[in-house]
Amino acid sequence: MAMNGADEDFEWEPPTEAEMKVIQARRERQDKISKLMGDYLLKGYKMLGECCDVCGTILLQNKQQKNYCVSCQELDSDIDKDNPALNAQAALSQVRERQLAAQSPAPSQVPELSRVPSSIQASVSVPQPRPEHCEGAAAGGRASLLPPAVPSTSAPASTTALAPTQPPVCPQSTALQPVLQEAEEAVLTKLRWATTQLQSSPSLEASIQLCSLIASCANSLRSLKELSQ
Amino acid sequence: KKHVLQTVCALEAVVLRSFGPDGGQVLFIRDTAEAMLSRSGSRILTALRLEHPLARMVVECVWKHSTVTGDGSKTFVLLLASLLRMIHTTVCKDPTVSHTCNSRKAAEAALARRLADELLAFVLEDLDDLITVGVVPYGCCVSWEDFTAKTQSPVHTNNHHVQKLLASFFHTRLGYTHCDFISNLACELFASWKFKNDTPALSLQFVNDNFPALHTPVSGFPIDCSRLIEGQIIHRDFATPCPQTENQPVKAVIFTGYLESELLRAGEVLEVGCGEQVMEENSSMKQSIVQFSAWAERSLEWVIADLQSLGVSVLLFAVKQSPAVLALATQAEMCVVECISEDELSLFAQLSGSMPVSDFWMIQPEHVASLAFCRPVLLGAHRYVHVAFHDLEEKVMVKPCSLVICAPGEGQTDQYACAFRDAIRMLLTAWEPLGMTAHTASKRTCSNASPFQQRVLEPGCVIPAGGTFELLLHHTLRQHSRSRSVSDNTNMSLPAVSQLLAKALLCVPQRIYSYKHKTNPVQNCSTKECPLQDSKLSMHYCGQAHMSSNFFLIQYDLLFRQQFTNTFQSNDHTITHFCTMLPLKHR
Repeated sequence: MAMNGADEDFEWEPPTEAEMKVIQARRERQDKISKLMGDYLLKGYKMLGECCDVCGTILLQNKQQKNYCVSCQELDSDIDKDNPALNAQAALSQVRERQLAAQSPAPSQVPELSRVPSSIQASVSVPQPRPEHCEGAAAGGRASLLPPAVPSTSAPASTTALAPTQPPVCPQSTALQPVLQEAEEAVLTKLRWATTQLQSSPSLEASIQLCSLIASCANSLRSLKELSQ
Repeated sequence: KKHVLQTVCALEAVVLRSFGPDGGQVLFIRDTAEAMLSRSGSRILTALRLEHPLARMVVECVWKHSTVTGDGSKTFVLLLASLLRMIHTTVCKDPTVSHTCNSRKAAEAALARRLADELLAFVLEDLDDLITVGVVPYGCCVSWEDFTAKTQSPVHTNNHHVQKLLASFFHTRLGYTHCDFISNLACELFASWKFKNDTPALSLQFVNDNFPALHTPVSGFPIDCSRLIEGQIIHRDFATPCPQTENQPVKAVIFTGYLESELLRAGEVLEVGCGEQVMEENSSMKQSIVQFSAWAERSLEWVIADLQSLGVSVLLFAVKQSPAVLALATQAEMCVVECISEDELSLFAQLSGSMPVSDFWMIQPEHVASLAFCRPVLLGAHRYVHVAFHDLEEKVMVKPCSLVICAPGEGQTDQYACAFRDAIRMLLTAWEPLGMTAHTASKRTCSNASPFQQRVLEPGCVIPAGGTFELLLHHTLRQHSRSRSVSDNTNMSLPAVSQLLAKALLCVPQRIYSYKHKTNPVQNCSTKECPLQDSKLSMHYCGQAHMSSNFFLIQYDLLFRQQFTNTFQSNDHTITHFCTMLPLKHR
């Protein structure tokens, strides 16, 4: 069931098991959406004739004329619940995984570390979490994530880990390249500084702010990476 | 296409929790604090606030279906959702759909349309026969005469009593506690309204048409206080003090208009002419008005005297009368009831055999109705007028009676009244003569010994409840598609639409039994298995506790299938009008 436009004469095969799981998960999600919609309709919400721009679900409207999308605002998105940056549970489980891996030989650390920045980068594309989502838990998750990860390596290791995740640069826009590289350098420097500060920071507030700085550095790096593609 | 599925699934989620004998009730509360309690699918769906055009269309479909059959709205929505899901899965998995991004959606939509068309064609052509051959032999007939035979002992498991049929219906609609009591009451009501020389359908139709006038909701009493009262209850109180004529026969006249000249009604402008004579202004005006009002009063007195000479002592008015009329009537010791609704007056006229008076100058003997009595009755917090009729030889009918529905609250009286109405519609659908069979209203009871000889769809055919109909039909459809593929020898990349329908039908028994985790001691059924795989069908009949109300599925199934097969032909761009599909089988 590949949606690849290049394969016109794609030979049809039965969907693989992974794909079946995806289909199954999607179906369950749709069932959940229908059930939630039914509950809201019974509570007196109005079913509108419009759809949500983001996910295409039918919109509901409450008595105060406020529109409400069931899947965006209530159900977690497909990838949210595995994202450690937003979910404290996932963060804790990832921390535990990392601690286990730290006891195993060193080469395995590098690929795990490369997961860290990719997960931070992934947080950019995730839509707004629901309003009552616990900000403290998210912040705690972020805070608990990074300190165990960072002290186990030094700063240069993080940069070497970052480097392989960047895709090969296309030689097309050569004028843009030096500017982007400079920007990347600046961001990386800031990131390095932030991590060293974080290691030595005694206060909780400062740690939280440093973590958010690191997150935004990661965001910028991702945008730069996209630009250079 | 995705929206069609999502809309219908949302509606399905709404009705699902009330589905089946174990389903719950929905309580709606308006901003005015009025409560509405219901388990009826059509009531729940019509109470939702829906602006989505497809959702509104589905709900209208359900409502139309419910006005004809009285039941099955939730099953309708469930089957619709299930069919749509089947089609969606089939379309997604289909290998012939191209895998390019651009044309994928179009290809899927085209395939869905094709499936819809095929399904419609199949339903219109083959489904009737399949049901007649595969499902009807397992059923049994309930006849009208069973109404009168309710005193037979309930021990016989083969007693196809209408009472049990109604009990099963009321169980799903009103709950287990009172379903037997209410079904007994309903049977009594229908039995007493049975016209001696008419077909049962006509008398049921009569009750259906006059139901608002034939029932009185009373709140504040336990449900067991519901009863039948002989005669008719007029839902107004006396406007004048009623003389103490408790059980004496009286005569009554119905007036559709006002009892006095139009000129004296409030709001009219009276112009009095002075004539040619030139007199002093004041005295002349007064004189004219005085003359006129004297004339008016005299004419009223003549009318009252006329009525007295005919022996009339009860006056029934459709509109409000002036105080002068009331005063004169009180003086003449006549009871007056005003502002009676039209349907109550027409029912009164029918039952008493009299005609309403439109012109009060011409009151003839045929306008006078004879009543056995006319007295006030206190029901709940209201006082009404209770009248009873003499038996008339011209209109041979059983003693008319009126239903008093008691319930703790107004929402519940409403619920019970609606349940009664729907029960009547259900019975009407059951005994509706089918155009395609040679037999009209069924007058013979069928024994279980010869079910396989019956190849025609008889009115009054009944199948036990609990999803049996769906299981039977599923089995029949599977056999049919197997035999078809063998004979045709075609390489079908698409599953036959009959297979789709067969799989979709299973959702109903699945949902029913998803609640039944424990054995319900009342049902007294042997264990039912749901053949989710294509295994041998297990046929277990319900015990004597519950007969089914699913018989009508045989008839309405045919007609609602065309309705909903048309709904999913609409994608985002076209909404087809399918209401014309409704009068396919009858009406």
